[in-house]
Amino acid sequence: MRRVVSILLVLALLTGVLGVTSVAAAATTEFPRSQTLYTGGKQWGPPSNWNPFMTGNYATGTIGLCYETLFLYDPLTAKFTPWLASSGKWTNSTTYRLVLRSGLTWSDGKALTVDDVKFTIELGKKTTLNFSSLWSWLTSISKVNSTTLDFKFKTALYQEWDNYLYNLPIVPQHIWGTRSLTDVATGANDKPVGSGAYLYNTYDQTKMVWEKNVNWWATKALKLSVAPKYIIDLVNTSNENSLGLVLQGQEDLNNNYLPGISTLLTGGYALHTYYPSAPYNIAANTAWLDINLQKKPMSDLAFRKALAYGINVADIVSRDYNNMVQASNPTGLLPMWNKYVDQAVVKKLGITYNPAKAKQVLAAAGYKDVNHDGYVENKDGTKITLKLIVPNGWSDWMAAAQMISKSAKAVGLRIVASYPDFNGYLDARLKGTFDLAIDNQANVSNSPWTYYHFIFYDQLKDIPTTQGGNYGRYNNKTAFALVTQLDKTKTTDLTAMKAVISKLQTIQLANLPMIPLWYNGMWAQMSTTYWTNWPSSVAGKNHYLPVTWNGYWNMTAILMLTQLKAVKQP
Amino acid sequence: MAQPRKQNEALYFMRRNAKLQIGVAFVFLFIILALVGPLLTKYQPRDYVAPGAQPPSSEFWFGTTSFGEDVFTQFVYGLRSTFLVGIVGGGLGTLIGILIGFTAGYRGGIVDEILNMLTNVVLVVPSLVVLLIVAAYLEVRGLVFESVYIALFSWPWAARAIRAQTFSLRSRDFVDLGRLSGMKPLKIIFTEIAPNMMSYLLLTFILQFGGAILTAATLDFIGLGPTEGMSLGLMMNNATTYSAIMLHMWWWFIPPGLAITAIVGSLYITNVGLDEVFNPKLRET
Amino acid sequence: MRRYFGRKLLIYIITFILAVTVDWAIPRFMPGNPVEILIARAGLKAESAKLIYSYYMKAFGLNVPIWRQYLNFWIALFHGDLGVSLWLFPQPVMKIIKQAVPYDILLLLPAILLSWLAGNKFGAYAARSKWLDNTISPLAYILQATPYMWLGMLLAWLCGVRLHLLPFSGAYSNAMMPSFSWSFVWSLLQHWILPFASLFIVQFGGWAIGMRNMIIYELEADYSHYLEALGAPRKLVRSYAFHNALLPQITGLALQLGAIVGGALATEIVFSYPGIGFLILQAIQNHDYFLLQGSCLFIIIGVLLANFLIDLAYVLVDPRTRVGMQGEG
Repeated sequence: MRRVVSILLVLALLTGVLGVTSVAAAATTEFPRSQTLYTGGKQWGPPSNWNPFMTGNYATGTIGLCYETLFLYDPLTAKFTPWLASSGKWTNSTTYRLVLRSGLTWSDGKALTVDDVKFTIELGKKTTLNFSSLWSWLTSISKVNSTTLDFKFKTALYQEWDNYLYNLPIVPQHIWGTRSLTDVATGANDKPVGSGAYLYNTYDQTKMVWEKNVNWWATKALKLSVAPKYIIDLVNTSNENSLGLVLQGQEDLNNNYLPGISTLLTGGYALHTYYPSAPYNIAANTAWLDINLQKKPMSDLAFRKALAYGINVADIVSRDYNNMVQASNPTGLLPMWNKYVDQAVVKKLGITYNPAKAKQVLAAAGYKDVNHDGYVENKDGTKITLKLIVPNGWSDWMAAAQMISKSAKAVGLRIVASYPDFNGYLDARLKGTFDLAIDNQANVSNSPWTYYHFIFYDQLKDIPTTQGGNYGRYNNKTAFALVTQLDKTKTTDLTAMKAVISKLQTIQLANLPMIPLWYNGMWAQMSTTYWTNWPSSVAGKNHYLPVTWNGYWNMTAILMLTQLKAVKQP
Repeated sequence: MAQPRKQNEALYFMRRNAKLQIGVAFVFLFIILALVGPLLTKYQPRDYVAPGAQPPSSEFWFGTTSFGEDVFTQFVYGLRSTFLVGIVGGGLGTLIGILIGFTAGYRGGIVDEILNMLTNVVLVVPSLVVLLIVAAYLEVRGLVFESVYIALFSWPWAARAIRAQTFSLRSRDFVDLGRLSGMKPLKIIFTEIAPNMMSYLLLTFILQFGGAILTAATLDFIGLGPTEGMSLGLMMNNATTYSAIMLHMWWWFIPPGLAITAIVGSLYITNVGLDEVFNPKLRET
Repeated sequence: MRRYFGRKLLIYIITFILAVTVDWAIPRFMPGNPVEILIARAGLKAESAKLIYSYYMKAFGLNVPIWRQYLNFWIALFHGDLGVSLWLFPQPVMKIIKQAVPYDILLLLPAILLSWLAGNKFGAYAARSKWLDNTISPLAYILQATPYMWLGMLLAWLCGVRLHLLPFSGAYSNAMMPSFSWSFVWSLLQHWILPFASLFIVQFGGWAIGMRNMIIYELEADYSHYLEALGAPRKLVRSYAFHNALLPQITGLALQLGAIVGGALATEIVFSYPGIGFLILQAIQNHDYFLLQGSCLFIIIGVLLANFLIDLAYVLVDPRTRVGMQGEG
């Protein structure tokens, strides 16, 4: 008996160790700490996919470290930096001329030319990719010479095109041209070959390892050199695990929302945030209250106004988030778009927390508390009970929902916070079966057009499949016509843009299809134990974005890597 | 009639069994704490009472959580739900187990096979996953739901034990005698078999009680517990989520786990003591 | 005999079919649509999302009628294909599970076996004398009553955070890749000790109690008294009792081993140990129906197999069960 058990034991240990180590043997097996940058916060599962067209699935850094885009966009200065492209401009109202930089190379040594760019974008026509809808308004791409391409459009949507310029990854024709279309669209693209600052090194279930590309084109062309030799992106297992890693200096940059991190900044843990004080992080997206306009009494504008007057956002900001977020302005536009906010309109129509006014508006509109239960009833006497849904497990939103419920109660509105499972929450929003929901789908981008597209999206029938926004189903064709007009406005014509946006703001504030609440931040906690010279709002420091989320590398986070300095270890 | 003398005999040994006394004493201690505790505190579990992360002090005996809630308040309210789940979940599990185990053991044959299969299916289905699905539909889950759910997945253990016991009793002489003398099966069950199983049923219930508490703690810890209210497992869940371990907030996660260990451990010890009382072969005298 | 086995096999097959059907139905009964979630995560432009939606529906075989989906599921099952993961698209579910299983074997097998050995030994000691019984047993009960995750938290806090003795998350250092080097194996071992200990300590209690009870029961059996009456040495009687007590313990061991496939969820959560239990939790949190379905199937098959083998062994070893199986006349 004893012997059988001992044999089993040895077998167990062997199987275990063999099973673990049988993952493909990596070239490098240990990474020196002083040359490695540990990041985390974007990857919630083992790396499984390096296909830059599968947004939401690809491993951290696939676009940004490995594959690159034509331009970089800096949201804080609203400027484009030519990256793979050396310049680009509209030669007439429907033609865009792109000039590609010379001397670009892929990591396997081959040259990156306009043929690769043309090939990549045409892939969207051959099969369904995440940018395929571009071809509904792009007619053709023609090669003018070895460094120039002309993009001819049916209709020129300037704001949307700019968005593609810093989001479209360019892939090598000599590798992708031989693949089947299914592979292109949904293949994993192992061992990716890109043009970027980092090469694919290895991965396992807990991390993605990138290695510095010493032949990166930008070293010669732009005199840029990235500091860390290895970037290891750690898979998140839980927020508390991430907190532990950051506090112990085992993770250098973490982009999770870590509740309570603001209290630890002075705890001697060598932590750093972009802003040295509240709100600590740059605003990334707006948290909105989705209101289902198809249901009574939400269909009544007066009711929506009262609701807006009755929500105490300041409470959420201070108690729920410990001031790590900011209350939104009535338009919901992010702080970086302050120049588009029409202050006159806001002054006239903007609504902020005012419980007295809320009660006033309700009373004036005919909502009275007939049965004296503390809550107002419908005009026809039926009870009003609204369910506010947030995904289960999103603890900060769950707490916020509770606070909204409380402040609504004070003005006589009964709102019940409810926490369905994420897919139940998603489903309710998509199918339009919810009452109220918190939502933050529209993220920072190159133009407020993306915001207004989200608010006024008019293909109401398609919402369940396209997830385009406007979950409350606010039906206003005029508004969406204005959104399209905005898209067609040149990005250099600030006056024209402001004029259209002002009209949109008037419609939005007058009709309240959604209520903006607060700005979520680009959560970023940095450890200064091994690396310093992180981005900071302090004058003299670099103002790049310290974020590893999708789409942020090409919004200057890649430049952050060129500024980092290794700390000399004793 | 053997009954009265048996009862006296049982009581006699109960009073002398140290394990039983200590076990019961501890369990009662916690029950009293659960009943009286909430009266000792003027707060509700989710009230903001002080700045967060305070270690135990004379004002807050168990300190405060990251959000400034009183840990002692959460603890005593949590004890209540723990006991509730134990009694309802354990009780229901025992009942179902008795029904199924007894029927299978007594009838045998095809009935036994079918019930065996049912038992196997329940054992094999991952209860956690089924709970996930159900949880996706029920936005609000209560204590009763959790207790019933636990009972629905823990009865197989009780059923197996009772079935085995029924088997062994069935083939005993007095049962055969009963059958020979023409007693109806139901009468046999109630007058001959059941009384001999009473003690066994009590033991089974105690084990189910303890098991239900442990299972509930695990479910709450994973986040599949009741959506409202407080429980000891939920406290440990919150403590882990808000990094109590990293931040040295030992007062947040040690009391709940300690309480569960103490309660369930005492239940197990009580179980042993009772076993000795009922089963002369195990007695130390 | 053959009729008995035949009936048993039939029951197991029926159980298997039922369990697999329930398992297949799991994603279908969830509100919402897995493709919706994939799209939500991708953050696509509305117009592109429309195109991709139908693409994915076809890719996951969700655009065929329900009965056809059920049939496809069985066909794939017999090819060993458990589908493709949503959360880790496009990795196949089988591959993901295979990567997690070695960690569970590494963690659970030694924990179960060593705790079984040690538990039996101490249980036997406890049955030897009253004094030992009164010291070892209560300790064993308390250990058995300890919730796994709480013990894990205690160990993580004491040995990890407070005393900085051992790492308490992950399976090996973040600065290493798996390889056949001593430094890697050392890192693996260091990360393994705490989760192993938390499992070992609790289970040790259980086995010790079980063994002690069994031995006492055996010591009180007629044959023991008979042997004593004949003047056999205590040691001999005890050794007979021990070997007879071993049988149910072996059964228990086999059952526990069968449950290895399910992992040790609570412990894996506390230590972020990448076993199958943790995988299931992540599948739940990331709404990866297909991974969930595949992992559950894996567990169901494992447990059913173990049960079947135990039933077989039982019949071969213990004749009394055969009589009971045949039931009342």
